[in-house]
Amino acid sequence: MMQAKLRDLLITNILAIVLGLVASGLMLLFLGKNPVNAYSVLITSVVRDGYTFADIFVKATPLMFTALAFAFTYKANLYNIGAQGQFYIGAVIAAAGSLFLQNILPGWLVLIITLVLTIVGGGLWGAFIGFVKARYNSNEFLVSMMSTYVALAIMNYLLRTFLIEGKAEYPQTDALAAAVWLPRLIPGTRLHIGFVLAVLACVGVWVLLYKTTLGYRIRAVGYNAGAAEMSGINAKKLYILAFFISGALAGVAGFTEVNGVQHMLVQGFNPDLGAAGIGIAILANGNPIGIIFAATLFGALKVGGTIMGQMSGIPSSIIELMQGFVMVFVILSYFVRTWLENNREKRKLQKAVAK
Amino acid sequence: MIFLLSTTIMMGTPLLFGALAEVIAERTGMMVTAIEGIFLMGAWAGFVGGYLSGSLTLGFLSAMLAGLLVAALYGWICIYLKQHQVVTGVAINLLAVGLCSFLYRVIFGVPITPLTVNPLATIPIPLLSDIPLLGPILFNQTILTYIIYLLAPLSYFMLYKTSIGLTIRSAGENPEAVDVAGINVLRVRFLTVLLAGVMGGVAGAFYSIGFLGMFTTNIIGGRGWIAFAICFLGNWNPKGAVIGTLAFGFAEAIAIYMQSTGNSALFPNELFIALPYIMTIVLTVSRKSFSVPAKLGVPYVKEN
Repeated sequence: MMQAKLRDLLITNILAIVLGLVASGLMLLFLGKNPVNAYSVLITSVVRDGYTFADIFVKATPLMFTALAFAFTYKANLYNIGAQGQFYIGAVIAAAGSLFLQNILPGWLVLIITLVLTIVGGGLWGAFIGFVKARYNSNEFLVSMMSTYVALAIMNYLLRTFLIEGKAEYPQTDALAAAVWLPRLIPGTRLHIGFVLAVLACVGVWVLLYKTTLGYRIRAVGYNAGAAEMSGINAKKLYILAFFISGALAGVAGFTEVNGVQHMLVQGFNPDLGAAGIGIAILANGNPIGIIFAATLFGALKVGGTIMGQMSGIPSSIIELMQGFVMVFVILSYFVRTWLENNREKRKLQKAVAK
Repeated sequence: MIFLLSTTIMMGTPLLFGALAEVIAERTGMMVTAIEGIFLMGAWAGFVGGYLSGSLTLGFLSAMLAGLLVAALYGWICIYLKQHQVVTGVAINLLAVGLCSFLYRVIFGVPITPLTVNPLATIPIPLLSDIPLLGPILFNQTILTYIIYLLAPLSYFMLYKTSIGLTIRSAGENPEAVDVAGINVLRVRFLTVLLAGVMGGVAGAFYSIGFLGMFTTNIIGGRGWIAFAICFLGNWNPKGAVIGTLAFGFAEAIAIYMQSTGNSALFPNELFIALPYIMTIVLTVSRKSFSVPAKLGVPYVKEN
């Protein structure tokens, strides 16, 4: 029984991904490009070159965090669609903290302190959403969406004023000192230790959700808030806690991106991490372990899209196009799975009746 | 001051289009979370149609069509396939970003200077626009403003005084009863979502060809979500939507005014840009009683 479900999940998801890629490939025809050609160039250049291959996991790293952020509150039947804003808050704190501390403390200590600060900062930014939900019964979906735009305005303001580079030319910070960069995992690539952090976070969230009392309570609230309250679970406190953890996860994405990849904070970078994170979470069916694989796939789409964008005449918006098509087909695959499941149940019933 | 208030009315126009669209659809139980994507595709199609044909009317018609198509996809997935409204909306919004920037490139290549069209002109209403103060604020606007302020009372009347309105409201409160009365709940919901798509398309096109005269992929910048928020804050009522729209239009007018006068010494520009969003959060927190449609966001499954 479980096996049939897992088989459906894998087959329909793979089919959804293939259809999404085919749909975006067909769009290339509008540009007079041969999609088969484009995709084969893409695959060979990803596989041939170690730097590019490692970049898939570089891109997957922040996506795991934002996907976890969505999946975590989703388990409590809450919608945090503000991971993008929590990520910006984390990125601002990571850049400000590193720049401020890098000349005072040794690099490793700065990294640890900055990580803790982003967890607290992103967490509090997220917890605010949980707080207004618990205290005033605000719509968390709306508040989290709006908080993203507020975070963006804060980031833009700080980049224009306090955090602006020494030359004061562009809205970006100075480069971070090499001592506060996250260490590389494989020399000659951009793959940094943040990737390990992300995988550990996925495993950690899985353990938290499925092996601890807290996780049990969160899932109980998600399953039936009323019944959970009846059995003595304080749902309101859990709303705040769930949003704190969710915001903290998204905030850490800011840390890994600033200290691990960009080594500075640039205005308007990574604008689609939040939305892609939601796509990854639903592709993985909300499962933290599944997120590792789904995020890797989206990382590959990003790297692939960038390579395609460098080919003559293909715009880099092909990335959003691929992500969007894949997400829509993944949602359709949910429908197909329910349909398959119902059919199976029906057949079983018919068999039972026939006997 | 006159500038501020007339800008309030102008910038409120697309928000009211979007908010009324949401009110009507959400009354049937359908949150149109694809609204941001509908706005964006509307802005794109409006610009493309207007630029290529040289006629703004054709631009707005293509915007309506684009909004309709996005809404049809959204409605099909959420109503007939019964998938989750929030998740589906996010996916469609992302797809809309990809589609419109990709297709803009397909159609126009990489232009050296940004392409522009002449935006919608204001139409001063004879006599009324000569009234001191009120004239330039209320009666020297684009045609869309006049249309939407006619549609607002009409939609109120439609929702509360006609049998169609009763059906719409019942579909969101008690769909079983609607079903028993022999009316197809799913079709009611789908049609209102399509209507929301058409109105949202016009709203989006307002930004590209009604006001700026050009198209960029960040032209909407969350305004679809603001229309969505206005519907919530306006308590799912056209009256509330009008009041909310004026408040948000005013916030946006202040931002535009501040940007045009250069940096204020006291407050940073970003504060004013963030003002509508902060306002939404403050208002959702401070409003105590909402009359949320009972089945908002819940797919309707017929019992056998």
